[in-house]
Amino acid sequence: MIEYAYLIPLLPLAASALILFLGKEGEHSKMPYLGLAVMGACLLVSTCIFAESLLGSVDLPYYKTIPWFNFGQFEMTLGVLIDGPAATLLFVVTLVSFLVQLYSLGYMHGEKRLKRYYAYLSLFTAAMLGLVVSSNLLVLFACWELVGLASYLLIGFWFEKPGPAYASKKAFMTTKLGDCGLYVGLLLLFASQGTFDLQMLQYRASLGPEYFPLEIATAVGLLFLFGAAGKSAQVPLFIWLPDAMEGPTPVSALIHAATMVVAGVYLVARTFFIYHAAPIAMGAVAWTGLITAFMAATMALTAYDIKRVLAFSTVSQLGYMMLGLGVGGYNAGLFHLTTHAFFKALLFLGAGSVIHAVHSNDMRDMGELRHKMPVTAITVGIAVMAIAGVPFLSGWYSKEAILHHVYEHNPSMWVIAIITAGMTAFYMSRMYWRVFFGKAGDSHKWEHAHESPATMTVPLGVLAFLSLVSGAFLEKSGMFHTLVNVDRLLAAPGSPEAAGLGTAHAAPAAGHGQAAAEALAHHAPAWLLPGAAVLMAFGGILLAWKLYGDGDHKLAAAIRERFSWVADILEARYRFDDFFLWLVDLSDRLAGALFWFDAQIIDKIFIDGWAAVTRALAWVSDFFDFRFVDGAVDGVGLITQDGGRALRKLVRGQTQEYLMYAALSVAVLTVFVITR
Amino acid sequence: MGILSLTTFIPLLGALIVLLIPKGQVKLIRGAAVLTTLAALAASLCALNAFDPGTIAMDGLPMQFMEKYDWIPTFNIHYQMGADGLSLPLIVLTTFLCFLAAVYSTSITERVKEFFFWYLLLEVGMLGVFCALDMFLFYMFWELTLVPMYFLIGVWGGPKKEFAAIKFFLFTLFGSVFMLLGILALYFQSNPHTFDMLELMKATGGFSREFQIIVFMAFYLGLAVKVPAFPFHTWLPLAHVEAPTPVSVILAGILLKMGVYGLLRISYSILPAGYEWFLPYLIVIAFINIVYGALCAMAQTDMKKMVAYSSVNHMGYCLLGMAAVSSTGFNGAVLQMINHGIITAALFFLVGVIYDRAHTRDITAFGGLGARVPVYAGLMAMTCFASLGLPGLAGFISEFLCFLGAFPAWKLYTVLSVSGILVTAAFFLRMLQKVFLGPFNEKWKDLPDMNLRELVAVAPLAGLMLLFGIWPRLVLDIMNPTLTVMAKMFPGMFAIVR
Repeated sequence: MIEYAYLIPLLPLAASALILFLGKEGEHSKMPYLGLAVMGACLLVSTCIFAESLLGSVDLPYYKTIPWFNFGQFEMTLGVLIDGPAATLLFVVTLVSFLVQLYSLGYMHGEKRLKRYYAYLSLFTAAMLGLVVSSNLLVLFACWELVGLASYLLIGFWFEKPGPAYASKKAFMTTKLGDCGLYVGLLLLFASQGTFDLQMLQYRASLGPEYFPLEIATAVGLLFLFGAAGKSAQVPLFIWLPDAMEGPTPVSALIHAATMVVAGVYLVARTFFIYHAAPIAMGAVAWTGLITAFMAATMALTAYDIKRVLAFSTVSQLGYMMLGLGVGGYNAGLFHLTTHAFFKALLFLGAGSVIHAVHSNDMRDMGELRHKMPVTAITVGIAVMAIAGVPFLSGWYSKEAILHHVYEHNPSMWVIAIITAGMTAFYMSRMYWRVFFGKAGDSHKWEHAHESPATMTVPLGVLAFLSLVSGAFLEKSGMFHTLVNVDRLLAAPGSPEAAGLGTAHAAPAAGHGQAAAEALAHHAPAWLLPGAAVLMAFGGILLAWKLYGDGDHKLAAAIRERFSWVADILEARYRFDDFFLWLVDLSDRLAGALFWFDAQIIDKIFIDGWAAVTRALAWVSDFFDFRFVDGAVDGVGLITQDGGRALRKLVRGQTQEYLMYAALSVAVLTVFVITR
Repeated sequence: MGILSLTTFIPLLGALIVLLIPKGQVKLIRGAAVLTTLAALAASLCALNAFDPGTIAMDGLPMQFMEKYDWIPTFNIHYQMGADGLSLPLIVLTTFLCFLAAVYSTSITERVKEFFFWYLLLEVGMLGVFCALDMFLFYMFWELTLVPMYFLIGVWGGPKKEFAAIKFFLFTLFGSVFMLLGILALYFQSNPHTFDMLELMKATGGFSREFQIIVFMAFYLGLAVKVPAFPFHTWLPLAHVEAPTPVSVILAGILLKMGVYGLLRISYSILPAGYEWFLPYLIVIAFINIVYGALCAMAQTDMKKMVAYSSVNHMGYCLLGMAAVSSTGFNGAVLQMINHGIITAALFFLVGVIYDRAHTRDITAFGGLGARVPVYAGLMAMTCFASLGLPGLAGFISEFLCFLGAFPAWKLYTVLSVSGILVTAAFFLRMLQKVFLGPFNEKWKDLPDMNLRELVAVAPLAGLMLLFGIWPRLVLDIMNPTLTVMAKMFPGMFAIVR
């Protein structure tokens, strides 16, 4: 099946084009079924690939390329590179895409631009799958930008409202800022290595620093991290994700929870061999992840908009994944990515179900909905327990794996991480108690609330099942460890044409690194890590019950009152937004000033100035010409004329006068001659 | 008569035919003009079909479709034409855009006969510039573009058309006078005296460095005005804004490319020492063009002026690639010329479409049009995304190659220039948001969507954006061998970037 992997991104792309150009627009459009059918086919293929990979019946990595274009003596290729993480992500992305498309049939019922919605969804999925399978970093970057486009289109789907119109632009621009880092990273990487092919790069990295210099690896790693921070909403570029919630809720589940936002994490995992070679970049990944996880969790504590709580939670969990990768837990980070995709998509779809029922995003309008919407309440409850880290659910395993690596790496980082885990359990339960328990916030809305149709509840059920069992299954069977294996990545034979050389060189180096890491690792007593995690999970849940389980939230309100300055900072999102708005304002002023300079100084003075100078010169020259040159010419004429007129008076034709002139002349000449 | 002469002079024939048709026969005149441009397009496509790009391994190929006739033997002036992988894509771009703009021009009702006469004459000049391989002939065609452009802006332009036309004319003439001096200097320095570009390329070793620098500057003044390179760019916003839509398309789509083409064909190939001397300045100018052009565009509220300034920014990418003096950079620069030609032409058409309907181009005057004119909104969004360098559309690969080529040689300026990409995205997205998104402005409730004539002009461009974005080798394969050979033409030189 794996030889058909290239079809997985191409099919949704074709579907998107067909839907957009051939479909009929309107709420009764039949196009959603085309999108759904194609997605189903993709899901089938990727499930096969995932199963084959898990069972080890195909040789990974699978690598195949075709030439794309040439410039100079370089060749760019298009191709697929499927390793363990890619196979996993293929499955996750196609599954969530399929479920979200199914769910949208119900959620978007009556939408007048249904055709376009499905075209955009298919476009997104195509780009995301391209990003996952691409064997070439340039193509990965291209797909990276295209998922950004799809995100722009879908966040701004209800573009008549000012909110989505603004949020879509904000999301695109913030991620684009991160992309600039990635862009420079690509330039640097190519200047040093002369290729974007992941296999080739992996091979060169395995040869050691004389082929892949440390400072290049460090710089590229940091620049890629900046790009990843944009896409995966890490500090300081996380500001777009809460606003992105203006998009339709199924879109938030697909793009802003399960798939696109993990692209940054995936990028770090995909280029893990670079980070492995650059400890500083690796450390930056870990700290970025940790800070993000902590800050986002604090911001989720005070939010009232149900989708924003989930958005902050997503940011926080993405930070967790980064943290996992950064402390060397390659497998743990990707494990959490997988389980998170299931329970976070479920949370968003569940929230969508609630929003669909009460027509509000505000948790203050909700409450006591468990009787009205039992399926939603149960499934969301499972997701909340999973994310909170209740033992034996999927989130418990993946979070434990990360925390374990963090402790080995640095116990003080573990302390922050475990506190974050406690906050996660608290704010997720806070959401749950507020929405499904307590008293109805708005009795009118409560009256009209009802359980969602089957198109929506079936996806909830599937995801709930996966949130329950996926962690235990992947962990206990040991298959995920075999599939997503860091040693295989780092000791990879890399370049196919030099496979033998590669392993010989790389294997001892990797083995040595492993041994050194073992020696430095911190070891905790066996009870400490799981014990602390259980304590935090249940502590968070119970504290939330204490504060929000009843109807009036008096205690919570009192605490908020007492620490209002903290809440204010959290609600202002640590003022990161203000900082970026200031930056935008600054560049606007700069633009205005430069344009003024362009129009008033360069154009008016230096260019039109020449015209003025020329005209002044022309005037001077005209003046000179008229007064002097022309004057001189006229003067000669005038002198001749006047002279003639004067002389004419002497010549009057009288003989006596002529004789007198003759005599006078003789006299003068005579005097002249004598005196000489 | 060779295929290049045929391509170049078909529009001249068309211009003469237009002259012979009585003024009242407007439909006939339009038909004749459009058919003429179509014939020129067909001829250039024949040339493209017959062209052999060669391979890098065989060191490219010499000029193809060569024609050489004595013209003024006393001064060793020849009528000489030829094309290679550098000029042929530009020739096809010219005939293609001229055809589309001619179709679009059929809506012009004022002094139709004169319009198409000047329009076709302009096409002759532009094609001649890209085909000519004799300096004298080159200069003649170069100047030939001036007069028709003067009238096209001055008669059919906007409110400040006379001022814009005279400013454009004088500005360009100022540059070309220096270029003429440069041409004469080359003529008298070469031995035997020649205007033959190919001969001059061979003779370049005999020119001293100081001579090359001086002549380079003379040429640069002429070429920089056309590019336009900072600080010689201020004619462009004015001329673009005042010119009628099809003329703006030609101006931005083709005329600007003559500058970069001249830099490669003449400055680099004949005066490498001068080019080498100028490189540290060229990279700064490229950086200024990119960032300053983008920021100036962001300050605009007039859509057309914004697009005009975005051209300053995009031609900066060409200069960036040119400053690399590598096959990557040259490929990027020439591909960027083609892609910018396609994208900016579409942008000007689209701005024209809204102006024809609304009689305003003020970005803040609209709002929520996306719901009212979906086809227009879709095409405009696509073109803007192509212009801001979205992968999958034409601009991305060429921009990236320019950066990729320049980075090893000029790390700091290249990295700083990346910020231009961000600003470009900012002003295009802001425009899209203000015009198409948000609450619908009821004032435009009767705004019709695009008509057939407009779609015929824009849809092919949109198609090419997609095609070249996904499969850039369609263009790159034609030019890569030539440009690779050009980049390696002076092995001992350009240590500064190697």
